Amino acid sequence: MEKFETSHTAEHGHEEKHSFDTKAIWRTFWILLVITCIELIVGMFIAPHFHSLKLMFNVLYIIFTLAKAFYIIAEFMHLRHEIKNMIMTVAIPALLFIWFITAFLWDGNSYKNLRNNYDPHHKEQSKVKAEAKPAHGEEHGAGESHGAEKPETVH
Amino acid sequence: MSNEALHGHSEVVTTHDVHHDEHHVHHHKETFITKYVFSQDHKMIAKQFLITGMVWAILGGLMSVLFRLQLGYPDQTFPWLEDILGRWAKGGKISAENYYALVTMHGTVLVFFVLTGGLSGTFANFLIPLQIGARDMASPFMNMLSYWFFFGGSIVMLSSLFIQTGPFSGGWTAYPPLSALGDASPGSKTGMDLWITAMALFVVSSLLGGLNYISTVLNMRTKGMSMTRMPLTMWALFFTAVLGVLSFPVLLSGFILLLFDRHGGTSFYLSDIYITATKQALPNEGGSAILFQHLFWFLGHPEVYIILLPAMGMASEIISINARKPIFGYMAMVGSIFAITILAFLVWAHHMFVTGLNPFLGSVFVLLTLLIAVPSAIKVFNWLTTIWKANIRFTPGMMFALGFVSLFISGGLTGIFLGNSTLDIHLHDTYFVIAHFHIVMGVSAFFGMFAGIYHWFPKMYGRFMNNTMAYIHFWVTLAGAYLIFWPMHYEGLAGMPRRYLDYSGWESFKHFADLNKFISTVAMIVFAIQLMFVFNFFYSIFKGRKVTTTNPWGATTLEWTTPIRPGHGNWPGEIPEVHRWAYDYSKDGRDFIPQTEPIGPNESHH
Amino acid sequence: MAQAVPANQKWWGGGRSPFNVEYGKLMMWYFLMSDAFTFGAFLIAYGTVRFSSNGWPDPNVVFSSFPFAGHAHLPLVFVSVMTFILIMSSVTMVLAVGAGHSNDRKSVLKWLFWTIIGGIAFLGCQAWEWHHLHDQGAWWGMNPFHNFDGSEASTNFTNFFFTITGFHGFHVFSGVIINIIMFIMTYRGVFDRRGHYLMIEKAGLYWHFVDLVWVFVFTCFYLF
Repeated sequence: MEKFETSHTAEHGHEEKHSFDTKAIWRTFWILLVITCIELIVGMFIAPHFHSLKLMFNVLYIIFTLAKAFYIIAEFMHLRHEIKNMIMTVAIPALLFIWFITAFLWDGNSYKNLRNNYDPHHKEQSKVKAEAKPAHGEEHGAGESHGAEKPETVH
Repeated sequence: MSNEALHGHSEVVTTHDVHHDEHHVHHHKETFITKYVFSQDHKMIAKQFLITGMVWAILGGLMSVLFRLQLGYPDQTFPWLEDILGRWAKGGKISAENYYALVTMHGTVLVFFVLTGGLSGTFANFLIPLQIGARDMASPFMNMLSYWFFFGGSIVMLSSLFIQTGPFSGGWTAYPPLSALGDASPGSKTGMDLWITAMALFVVSSLLGGLNYISTVLNMRTKGMSMTRMPLTMWALFFTAVLGVLSFPVLLSGFILLLFDRHGGTSFYLSDIYITATKQALPNEGGSAILFQHLFWFLGHPEVYIILLPAMGMASEIISINARKPIFGYMAMVGSIFAITILAFLVWAHHMFVTGLNPFLGSVFVLLTLLIAVPSAIKVFNWLTTIWKANIRFTPGMMFALGFVSLFISGGLTGIFLGNSTLDIHLHDTYFVIAHFHIVMGVSAFFGMFAGIYHWFPKMYGRFMNNTMAYIHFWVTLAGAYLIFWPMHYEGLAGMPRRYLDYSGWESFKHFADLNKFISTVAMIVFAIQLMFVFNFFYSIFKGRKVTTTNPWGATTLEWTTPIRPGHGNWPGEIPEVHRWAYDYSKDGRDFIPQTEPIGPNESHH
Repeated sequence: MAQAVPANQKWWGGGRSPFNVEYGKLMMWYFLMSDAFTFGAFLIAYGTVRFSSNGWPDPNVVFSSFPFAGHAHLPLVFVSVMTFILIMSSVTMVLAVGAGHSNDRKSVLKWLFWTIIGGIAFLGCQAWEWHHLHDQGAWWGMNPFHNFDGSEASTNFTNFFFTITGFHGFHVFSGVIINIIMFIMTYRGVFDRRGHYLMIEKAGLYWHFVDLVWVFVFTCFYLF
């Protein structure tokens, strides 16, 4: 479709003086790396010792994740340097996720309660311990966690 | 189209260079294949969508006639049915499975292949480049692919009608477990796999088209065509594309999970199931059938507006042109389209009030749902105030646009009933629901589509459609639509459930037997009249009265500044520049002022 | 020809791109928006099922192996290596895009090469992880792992894990293919002839999106 060219070729390359900010890219890289390391440390060494604080850790993970997402979109995908209206056309639809997530999880949770309330058999079944048959090659990990360490369910 | 553009700090300019145009338009040979089959001209692609949509509309309509025959005359047999349908209607009576197959296919075909593909596929393709002043879509190649994916989906869907076990028969919403378990019904076997495949192709088509519409509207407007100078059709089609691009992928995800449930041994949607047919309890545990409904309706509700918005946009435009008055409250119209688009994403679970949805969550959805009444009412009152005290020209396009407004009001009002979760306990799954959505999105979207076809037919084919047939078409369809669906409200209020083969066994619905017979008769008449419309359409392509002026309706918008039969590239010379909004009708003593005319020194403000 | 647009002219005024980008880049952005909803739907469906279950396996137990580390209990280490590889390849991709901006063919080729290597490395890691889980008896419809509290788990943990990481892996795979095509086109000087490297930029957007999705998959499957 060469016919209806919508724009013009002449002057690329000449005005490309706006050099890419390599420093900012590496800074973003270090930020992402540090956040991932923090997540790793929290997930590996800290969270397993405080089961009652699972919810708090999850909130922490969400904050870290959103921070990482922000840096990837803003710097790597260069959105921060686009025109504001364009940023809006991406940001506003993304806001739909708020209600998308809230309503789905809300109803998921409600479905669990519904079943536990009206189907006692289902509730009983889900409390029955499986006979100890750890997955192959997982003796250590699986064995350890099957104790009474983790009574609460996950959200 | 390659991507020649400036980047970095320089401006990306999309105006069309004069020399450029002179060199390229009209100077290439086109073969039959490139012109009519694998065409990249948006106008031809629009016609391809329209005609494919018409074929589907006839098929889908015929299905409704067949099952109305069963509903109206449950005690009779029609031997000729066996002649045309074969084993679907042994002994001249449609069997229960095939009745469900017909109902399912009727819904799928009309919702997706006619009112989505056929409606926004046609008019977004046809009108966007013409009305914003562009040579073609941003990517004509992707645009062509969009049609051919649609065509491929159509073929797969059509082929499912002819397989041994029949097409999918679990309802157009494809709820599991009926859709997830091959053992659940004959239609849930291969028919469902073909159904999913066809729908996946359809989603790809809609994505390719939608991305094109969005970037064309944003990036390729001619000089002076600011967003707020665009005709309302453009706004409507733009937001339709936004809805499609953001909601269809969710449906696709739902379908992928469904495919795994069907063939991968997973249990995303399955739990605690015993199949009577095979006397077997399934091992699937922990899934949730409600999850599929959420995923489905996250598309399903925006889908309603994907169907309705193009009709709203076209009706606004046609009403303003034929009332010879500026549209009342242009910015309010734009704002309400935007509000509807946002709300469309927030209200999906009002289709699920009685499925086991958390009632408190349901009440939030009630609130959000009822909010839609606000922008809808704004639009309705703006249409009414536009025709208020106007000197109306009752062209066929205008008649259908007015019919659209009438149907949108009557159907929208019953939506307020259904949006309340408490009333829904009584009304869900009854004929009341059928009446509601057929009027508000089925027939009224069809009216918008007819209005668009009658109005832009001269631009498409350089001829007019026959007016006499058009008026007959209008009155019979309008009266017929109300006669078919109005009585259904009463049946629904009386509790008559939908999706049943035969109501004669119910003591409580026996007195509706004659009413059902009446509805079926009217449905057949209305269907016959649609065939007359199709005849009018094809007859007028070749024999219609010729258009002699470039602007037969006296409209302000850009498509009427092109030649009567524009070639690929739309304008032979430079693309016109735009100086004003699209609604300067009856201004300063002039009948209309085209968008291309500069603002005069003494001109009044609108 | 390239009109110098007066500073006071409105961005939305028509006649040029309101966002100062070429249409292909805009399309890529909105395609990614759409794809974000595909992934979003998957992850939200996963969340919904997890919320409606009374128990769920512990990721620290499931994902605790490392290649050649035998039975050592090393939760999260391997997946962190995968994350590192993907972030690294994102960096090399930005550098390729940056080199494209200054029409530096050699650097574009170099950075694209490393991006492709990163992508392949990630796919390799994923293949190892899948293989390892499969050896333990995990697959679509099969879940050998128990819930946190030791009760029998439904198969949905593995169902969602394989579906979503599989879908993500498919995106990485197509991203690698796209990057290889870009590499060949750059090598042949196609973009030099065009005078700009916008295609690299679009491929870059796609690649970063794949990285972005991984950030969420990582959180949802390995941390929660």
